Amino acid sequence: MAEMWISMGPQHPMTHGLWTLKVKVDGETVVDTEPDLGYIHRGVEKICEARDFTQITTYCDRLCYASANTWSHSYIYAVEDLLEVEVPERAEYIRLIAVELQRIASHLMWLGAYGPDIGNLSIMVWCLREREMMMDLLQELGGSRMHYNFPRVGGVKRDLPHGFAQRAKAKLSLFLDRIQEYEALFDESTIFLVRTQGVGYSKPEEMVNHGVSGPNLRAGGVNYDVRRAHPYSVYSELDWEPPVERPSIKGADCYDRYRVRVEEMRVSARMVLEALEKIPRGADTYHEPGDPAIIGKAPSRAPEGTSGYHHFEDSRGESMFYIAGGGEGRGKQPYRVSIRSPMFITIPYASECMIGYKVADIPAIMGSFDPCIGETDR
Amino acid sequence: MVLHHLVIRLSLETTRVLKMGRIVPPETQKKAAEALISGVSEISGIEAEIVEKSSGTSTRSTVSISCPKSDWRGLAEMLKEKHGVDYCSMITGIHWPDGGPDKNWEVIYHFLRMGVVDPPIIDGVVEPIDTDPEELAGLQIPLEIEVSICIPETDEPSLASVQDIWAGADWNEKETWDLVGIDFEGHVGMRRVLQPHETPVGFHPLQKQHKLRYHDFEEMYDDAQGFLRKPADAGKIK
Repeated sequence: MAEMWISMGPQHPMTHGLWTLKVKVDGETVVDTEPDLGYIHRGVEKICEARDFTQITTYCDRLCYASANTWSHSYIYAVEDLLEVEVPERAEYIRLIAVELQRIASHLMWLGAYGPDIGNLSIMVWCLREREMMMDLLQELGGSRMHYNFPRVGGVKRDLPHGFAQRAKAKLSLFLDRIQEYEALFDESTIFLVRTQGVGYSKPEEMVNHGVSGPNLRAGGVNYDVRRAHPYSVYSELDWEPPVERPSIKGADCYDRYRVRVEEMRVSARMVLEALEKIPRGADTYHEPGDPAIIGKAPSRAPEGTSGYHHFEDSRGESMFYIAGGGEGRGKQPYRVSIRSPMFITIPYASECMIGYKVADIPAIMGSFDPCIGETDR
Repeated sequence: MVLHHLVIRLSLETTRVLKMGRIVPPETQKKAAEALISGVSEISGIEAEIVEKSSGTSTRSTVSISCPKSDWRGLAEMLKEKHGVDYCSMITGIHWPDGGPDKNWEVIYHFLRMGVVDPPIIDGVVEPIDTDPEELAGLQIPLEIEVSICIPETDEPSLASVQDIWAGADWNEKETWDLVGIDFEGHVGMRRVLQPHETPVGFHPLQKQHKLRYHDFEEMYDDAQGFLRKPADAGKIK
């Protein structure tokens, strides 16, 4: 049969955002693919060159609408490397709690969106119900529902509110119970298994060479995690290990990528519960905003010739910021901000993974990599 | 809500007995960084040093390398073949119009050495890798590597491509050319990735001659109605 190119996107349920996947098909089989990104490129890197270090945090929140906190924290750690700031330990614990809650919310959003991708509509409502609990907790910390602007250079905006620990414990233990319901809903659904098992194989070494990291890599049976290999914050104080999936001999398929994210939600929930126990001065103490216990002193200027970067474990893989100091206002603004988006690198790889499968497998494969176009296009 | 009866079920389901704080020991990482530095210093003209970074309660050793433009390809091959640097994280291009004749442009590479290998297959079943980070050795020890390369004053900056060494560098190079205008010699399939395909040739927005439109202008406060902005826009790229 004659081969032909077809366009999926920019508006297509498979895309999870706004981009085009050009697919070359031979009948029902995918022969070649080419992603076309940039539909929502906002020029964040350029905007950052005309903003103070504190003002940039809000832009970083908006890089990914499903995982705002991990992105603003990713930026904050790079700035702290640039400005050489010391952060109080209590603030690091609060950050860890905020980031891990966000990771759960992000994975729930992914799971909720992945269900309709492959024909299970009810899971969306279930996941959004649980995501709401995480959003409520994050709202208590940051004050708003999606874009929290929570971290500050040197610490955090606010301490844990009164009663936060009790509410978080109740919600997370309820959540840990309900994960089992998701597993029952997914793992015992024949349709789900048929659509995800045996499609979209990827091998760890190949993924690393292509720049794919995070849960997608761990689904291949490798326990590489930035939080562990290049430890930052207080992750080394907690009792955890990255969840690793046992793939088939052909590599990780869509089902493995689903399993590893569900396990990761469990690990994150337990991490938050442990952090609430171990936080210095206890979770029930409250410090006013600006107290030295939750925010350290930070310079506002970075001289010319300085630079800072930080590798960070985002919900979708390894994200990083590189910041060169010495911009406008005698170093008050950065000279250059560069953002590494995990999905920008992963989407071309995921598109390669589809070659050889059927057109109907495209949503299952693409969705399993958890694309987020906000961060991809920046 | 019925939260009060849920508080009772707080027992954590810790099925596995975990060891506390299993991280890569800082001393091991420092030794690995020193080994890498002594390896790459064989190439003349390359300067490498250890940069200690700390965050929270952890410290780690990273490697910072500055490399002349002509040696970049040799260094890249060496990093990949001999030192197991398997992951290209990010490529950053910087335009330094006031940087002097030797440093008009700069390209900064960030690599990670992940030490990832495919998990072994035992009796037809994959055995997931669950190594303790404390027991890693040799090229398995994770490292962060930063390589910066200066490009002298030119209108058409370019650098050797490493697309064939790390597939992950492919789209990073495309992006660097698209936004900063630094070309990569030998890159196959260079094209616009973030900007529209019909963007004018030679327009790369992160070059410093392109100012943000209201760079020194508090439009929110000084000119909420936008009257002053109109004439300034005439003839400019929007």
